[in-house]
Amino acid sequence: MRLNKVMLVMLVAFCAVTLTAYEGLAQKAGFDDKEIRIGQWGPQTGPAAPWGAVARGTKVIFDLANEEGGIHGRKIRYFIRDDQYNPSQTMAGVRDLVDRQGVFAFVGGVGTAPGLAVQQYLKQKKIIWTSVCTGAKGFYQPHNPYLWGVWVLYEDDGSIITKFLVEKKKFKKIGYLYQNDDWGADAMVGIKKRLKTYGMELVAAVPVEPTERDLSSQIARLKASGAEAVIGMVAPTSAAIALRTAVSVDFHPQWIHSYNLTDFMLMNHITDGLWAKEGVMTSAFTEDIFDTRIPIIKKYTDAAKRLYPQERWGIFFAAGIVVAEPLVEALKRTGRNLSTQAVANQLNNLTFQGMGPKIKWTAKNHRPPRELRIWQCGPKGEVIVVQDWSVNELPLSF
Amino acid sequence: MPLGQLLVDGLAMGACYGLFGLAVVIIYKTSEVLNFAAGETAMVSTFVAYHIMVISGYNFWIAFVVALIFVGILGIAIEYFFLRPAKNPTLLGLIVITIGAQMLLMGMASWKWGAEQKQFNIPFSYKVTHEPISGFIVSEWAIAVFVVAAAVMTFLYFFFKYTKIGTAMRATQQNKHAAKIMGIKTDRVFAFSWAFSSIIGALAAMLLSAKNILDPGFMMESFLRAFASAVLGGLMSIPGVLIGGFIMGLVENFFGYVMPAWKPITAFVVIVLVLCVRPSGLFAKHWVKKV
Repeated sequence: MRLNKVMLVMLVAFCAVTLTAYEGLAQKAGFDDKEIRIGQWGPQTGPAAPWGAVARGTKVIFDLANEEGGIHGRKIRYFIRDDQYNPSQTMAGVRDLVDRQGVFAFVGGVGTAPGLAVQQYLKQKKIIWTSVCTGAKGFYQPHNPYLWGVWVLYEDDGSIITKFLVEKKKFKKIGYLYQNDDWGADAMVGIKKRLKTYGMELVAAVPVEPTERDLSSQIARLKASGAEAVIGMVAPTSAAIALRTAVSVDFHPQWIHSYNLTDFMLMNHITDGLWAKEGVMTSAFTEDIFDTRIPIIKKYTDAAKRLYPQERWGIFFAAGIVVAEPLVEALKRTGRNLSTQAVANQLNNLTFQGMGPKIKWTAKNHRPPRELRIWQCGPKGEVIVVQDWSVNELPLSF
Repeated sequence: MPLGQLLVDGLAMGACYGLFGLAVVIIYKTSEVLNFAAGETAMVSTFVAYHIMVISGYNFWIAFVVALIFVGILGIAIEYFFLRPAKNPTLLGLIVITIGAQMLLMGMASWKWGAEQKQFNIPFSYKVTHEPISGFIVSEWAIAVFVVAAAVMTFLYFFFKYTKIGTAMRATQQNKHAAKIMGIKTDRVFAFSWAFSSIIGALAAMLLSAKNILDPGFMMESFLRAFASAVLGGLMSIPGVLIGGFIMGLVENFFGYVMPAWKPITAFVVIVLVLCVRPSGLFAKHWVKKV
């Protein structure tokens, strides 16, 4: 009798495990006749929450596709997981989406560390992943057959900015304020390589930790170097503090930051208007998102206003569309016969430009585009395009 | 090396650290509790001032006074609801309680005002600068910091020396039980010292955020610096903390200029060195308990 009870418990447990496994297998394809499941992670809460707008912005393009009847009859079901910019939580969210919800693909995903935490897992599971939101080279070295990049490499960012400063603005003394991690280091490679072509060197390269709130000594060093222009590869908070500190000691170089700081509205606000007053420049990876004369911008701006009126139309929200555009295009081109390989084949031959830079992927090259624009913050906080799309023609260091 | 600039900036930041360090030390002196929620208490008060100014549209001085009253009450509430109910708490237990309060306050600020950075302005702008001596550029913000630090220091001197409550606080710190026997209501003294220290912390936070950025995490780094200043000056010495703050600001600024990559660890190095060489700090008397 006791043995029968044990057998019964074991049988129930076996059935539960089998059913769970079956459910997992059933969802593993990531789509059915009615829907395609797509996921993204991003910090919706915590100190990096402003960047969480990327994941929410993606909803606009998926909702537009669904309003048109879906892609070849399949609606997109979109999942967001809040990872608080914490890699361990990214992993938990991604595992949940892959193993329990059975997502077909991921788009975007803010941050180098969160992305690196799940990179191998997604590769092993052969999950399509387009447009990780970081320009760190670690994602493309070695080649990952299931990852396609849109976020321009920081090495290219540094190189294009430097070329602009030297060739267009004729600056002779360039300083560099950088976040003391892969971001700053990758961009420094591009900057130095470009400067070398002109026989120049950085007059100062000063690191910053993202948590630092007093940048007096860093600014003193940049000022003492005589830098006429300072390239910044730092987070919004550090950039704002650096600018405020510089003004407080009468140091007014031409500031030019990476494309991660193109939210002029936010930056102008947190710098008390100095972003506009000092005419700060940034590189940029989209069309001017406020120029509604551009048809694609008007389309998305109108949709965002209509679908998510509570959201601010800023660069991070718009970036959510940029990261999802290539996947939507590839799904459209794939047709009704959907599979991971079929979509991968389309992505491997995709030449496309939406709101972001021009993409040209091949089976062997999934690296992001190598072109950026240069913007300047105008007197009223508006975007002034000071240089259109410009390509880094120098070979990459990897 | 821009000696004058490093000196002015170092002293100004040091005054902020010292001022904030005072908030930590006043509680430690009275109740021997290391208040890890000091930074977040100050942060919340700055957000309250921001809210009154930007969202409700009142001027700075009204926001300033209301925020100080609010933070005083908040300090008392933390002492009353978090620390007082703890029965015979250990040192670790008290630290954990203040860390819990810290996390609660940070979560509340993120929920109420969001994680996006904000600007907080005071009437003394960092943008208005003077150069009395060549190479010594002093902003109005820096002048305000020096004036506030000097005023608070002078006030504390007279407060602890000549007022009844100041004497009661000193007595409670020296011997809680003896103070009770002498008729001092020590519970009230503790509550008052939490309110008092929270107000001084709020002053420092408002000055710091006016130069930097206001967000829920803006006092975390400053707390570490202030704590290092307090350890350097001596956790039991009020003038020592302010001097410790000045030294900390100067060391960090000069060290950061020469070796910027190592600047973030300056505070840790100072804490470790002081604890190894002179555990009671530079200006506090080293008491040895004899059995």
